[in-house]
Amino acid sequence: MRNIYEAVASNKRKSTLVIVFFIAFVTLAIYFISFAFSLYLGYKPSAFGVFGLALIISGFLCFFSYYYSDRIVLAISGAKQAKRNDFFNFYTVCENLALAAGLPKPKIYVIEDSAPNAFATGRDPDHAVICATTGLLDKLNRTELEGVIGHELSHIKNYDVRLQSIVAVLVGTVALLGDWFLRIRWHSSRDSDRRGNIGMIMLLLGLLFAILAPLIANLIKLAISRRREFLADAGSVAITHQPRGLISALKKIAGDLEPLEAANKATAHLYIVNPFKGKDSRAVSRFASLFNTHPPLEERIKQLETML
Amino acid sequence: MTVVIIAIIAVIAIWLVFTYNFFVSSKARIKAAVQEIGNQLKRQADLIPNLEEATKGYLRHEKGIFDKLTEARKAVAEAVKSGSIQKMADASAKVSSLIPDLRVVVEANPELKGAEVISKLMDELRDTADKVMYARRLLIDLTADFNVKRVSFPSSLVASIFKFEEQPGLITPEDEDVTKVKKEELKTPKISI
Repeated sequence: MRNIYEAVASNKRKSTLVIVFFIAFVTLAIYFISFAFSLYLGYKPSAFGVFGLALIISGFLCFFSYYYSDRIVLAISGAKQAKRNDFFNFYTVCENLALAAGLPKPKIYVIEDSAPNAFATGRDPDHAVICATTGLLDKLNRTELEGVIGHELSHIKNYDVRLQSIVAVLVGTVALLGDWFLRIRWHSSRDSDRRGNIGMIMLLLGLLFAILAPLIANLIKLAISRRREFLADAGSVAITHQPRGLISALKKIAGDLEPLEAANKATAHLYIVNPFKGKDSRAVSRFASLFNTHPPLEERIKQLETML
Repeated sequence: MTVVIIAIIAVIAIWLVFTYNFFVSSKARIKAAVQEIGNQLKRQADLIPNLEEATKGYLRHEKGIFDKLTEARKAVAEAVKSGSIQKMADASAKVSSLIPDLRVVVEANPELKGAEVISKLMDELRDTADKVMYARRLLIDLTADFNVKRVSFPSSLVASIFKFEEQPGLITPEDEDVTKVKKEELKTPKISI
């Protein structure tokens, strides 16, 4: 039995741990790859030139998707703004929970799709958007809806979109660096530096990181995503004080195996439950489960039930 | 070496500023949260009597029509039983006179029925009560954050230097009643409608 405050604090600690580990790993990877790069190219290993370039490119690519995340996601999902008259429960639940969380009321949208799901996006609480499918609004009662919206609002409150964007920039930087390093032509000696022992070791390390680091960085990024989902679940209970609502909502959504048409791989991580469910989603092997953006539903329900 | 010391002092100073700002801004937010509760209570006080009147008005109006319809139906049944043509003509005229009224009701609210009106009223009532509850919850959470920071180390140092007091939050009567369960409350309540 855990109380709600302890649950939120514990989730925050674990999430911070994963993020710190991620930053440490990325720093190491960038260091080794850039070092090896500069060794190979023959200039003194200051390393910041190549790294800086990779960072700028990666940052530039990710910036627009972060800054306009609300408009982009709405455009590709075909969502329409929800009015109080048509969607009384959805509208008033968002209003009430935003009040309880101390956030400004987010913009509210609806997607016409019978698969139940919901997502939240936006670069900060002032530009936040919550979107739900008509399938979700039909299938859940008001208390369950409060659980789901509480989860989404927690994502907004914890600045998860911003976090994921920064993480994506760093993963992109590592991936770019690794990619470039692997593509330079490995012809014969050009500089005596490279033939020294330390030089060889650094080159080898750089190579190792160039191959493995993008994959490992991606895996850590997914681990961060899963940790933040747990934190959002705990945050939802902290706002509504009704874990039963979210538990029964998750069970209802899990029981529905229909894949969501509007979702695609780029937006999958934003939804409350992974929109790509298939028959084999239950029998996913341990290794493949490392690539999940969301923790398994049974695990989430178990965590929530400790707060009852 | 001096650089390290300066760096450490700088970090501590920044932390001090952040912690102090947290305390004072928290206090301001708590005040705002108290006002928000007042805001929601006022909304409740304004809305519910008006909702009540509107619903009663509609139901009365509807009831009026249904009463007249029932009367008219009874008159028609009687007329048919008695077999008198005049009575039947009168009764049918009575029913016809009700049609303009019915048309007004149906055209004004093509989908509203009495049950739906009541259900909307109940929804609004629940929503209003929810809003008051959530406004209170925000106050409770803000106060909890403030009070926890006030007593945990190291922010407790800042709190004692600047003499920040414990915030009362949502004032609940601390006498016997709130934390105890009375014997009558142990029984399951029964509803009688």
